[in-house]
Amino acid sequence: MREMDAIYAEGLTKEFKVYQSRGGLWGAFRDLFDRHYRIIRAVEGIRMRIQPGEMVGYIGENGAGKSTTIKMLTGILQPTSGELKVNGFDPHRERERFVKTIGVVFGQRSQLWWDIAVQESFRLLQKVYQIPPKEYKSHLERMVSILEIESLLDQPVRKLSLGQRMRCELAASLLHKPKLLFLDEPTIGLDVLVKDNIRTFLKEINQELGTTILLTTHDISDIEALCSRVIMLDKGKIIYDGSLTQLKKVWGGRKKVLLETEREIAITDFKSRTVDLPVTWESTGKRQYVAYLEQGEVAVSDLLARVVQDIPILEMQIEEASTEEIVRKIYQEGIPDA
Amino acid sequence: MFQLQLFIEYFKQYLKVRLAYRWDFVVQLGTDFFFQAVNLVFILVFFGHTKTLNGWTQHEVIFIYGYFLIPWAIFSAIFNLWDFNERYVIKGEMDRILTRPVHSLLQVIMETMTPESLIGVVTGVIVMGWAATGLEIEWAWYDPILLLVFALGGVAVYGGIFISLISISLFTDSKSDLQPIIYNIGTYGRYPVNIYHRLIQFVLTWVLPFAFVGFYPASYLLDKTQWQWYALITPLVGAVYLGIGIMIWNWGIRYYRGAGN
Repeated sequence: MREMDAIYAEGLTKEFKVYQSRGGLWGAFRDLFDRHYRIIRAVEGIRMRIQPGEMVGYIGENGAGKSTTIKMLTGILQPTSGELKVNGFDPHRERERFVKTIGVVFGQRSQLWWDIAVQESFRLLQKVYQIPPKEYKSHLERMVSILEIESLLDQPVRKLSLGQRMRCELAASLLHKPKLLFLDEPTIGLDVLVKDNIRTFLKEINQELGTTILLTTHDISDIEALCSRVIMLDKGKIIYDGSLTQLKKVWGGRKKVLLETEREIAITDFKSRTVDLPVTWESTGKRQYVAYLEQGEVAVSDLLARVVQDIPILEMQIEEASTEEIVRKIYQEGIPDA
Repeated sequence: MFQLQLFIEYFKQYLKVRLAYRWDFVVQLGTDFFFQAVNLVFILVFFGHTKTLNGWTQHEVIFIYGYFLIPWAIFSAIFNLWDFNERYVIKGEMDRILTRPVHSLLQVIMETMTPESLIGVVTGVIVMGWAATGLEIEWAWYDPILLLVFALGGVAVYGGIFISLISISLFTDSKSDLQPIIYNIGTYGRYPVNIYHRLIQFVLTWVLPFAFVGFYPASYLLDKTQWQWYALITPLVGAVYLGIGIMIWNWGIRYYRGAGN
């Protein structure tokens, strides 16, 4: 194991014992004396290496085991088996020392105290994390100004809107300058402007403080905006771990270039111009043509260079599968050889 | 003393919240006083009918009851965890607790404490004082100190058993109704144990040692030499049971499964 890994997991597994009830009254009576359990493996032999300073997107469908993984990584749950070191700690066994080095934001659950003003929550966290007052003050001031939460500080948390609350949650999770930040659905239910604000903030934090960020989300645009690396989970197992560009290249399918020309062009003309490129042509209507580029192989500029010289083009459109489509496709069809 | 400082910070926050809802606070204070007054009248009326109880005079029984109210009030102020299962386990608030660098039980206690319950101490002292007028108690200079130590021992006994019981919620994800069992805790230990069957006496002393909360310490103050040694080991019994409670809690945290989402 390398000392530097922010997250090191090998064979990480979590099993839950689920109580199965029998049907009917007689069944319920029998359950009293003889219970049946079923073992559910929520997370199965996960291997994960995350370097300090990385921003990683952790995605998966509901019930894929995302939350369970995050809960093991943050020390909430004890793994059933496997090896786990986060920031050099065993998260569950060394919990109290370990959690000082991480920040956690669960989008669906507030980390702040519901009834007290935001600044009081912050002050209490300062005491909980034993942050020196000077350091606390300067750091807080910066975050307040970047996240634009100055005017919210004296309001109780329960009076804040979701977007306002989320910005305060982020500030709260970073007060003690954690090296590693876990974000579970940080933008769920937020409008576009707030999402943008939060993404910009996360990028800044990552660049300036070198904070490692692990992000779970349903919103693929979060990942596109923030993460260069994606880890994809399905039925408790990792099915993809790599760069977002690679994911698009391999599973993005063919790029489509749609052309509309001024005059009718023979399809063979197009074909002869691009005979050395892996491109297939098709005519889809009057003066309308589509070129399918084999995935990742050809630059669009290569293709256009050969076409635009003497063919007057009226309209042009490049279509590419969005990350969201790719992810959906992978979940539906599975990865051929993962 | 990081924990103590933190406790004070939480207490300040608690006060701020209470003061933010001024009228709530006033009304609550009013009802608390009213409740205590009713309690007082009830005690006097109830025991007014029983002249002696298995060798105990009316005043002695009231004295024990009054003493019992002191550890009970302190216990209620610290351990207000009746809805622990619902609030922390089923709703998953425990997740948040576990991502903070302070012992989980301490955090839960600090978040839920209700210092206003301490008002019961006043009621207890009044009841004891009233009962003492009909008794000839010789107070040694150290008796008030012992009383406080015994009371804290009693709080530890209750606390330990209470923590053990709520810890069950950490092991199982089903909604278990522990409230009635837990609530009944309050009713033991406020009467002389020798009015019960020997078996119950044994249970109340060595298994669920509620007799250490009220009866043994109070009888020490009543100068009943028969139970003197029991009274003196109250802090020890308290420490043991609190220790067991905390151990079971720590063990349960390993089994905590979190709320599904």
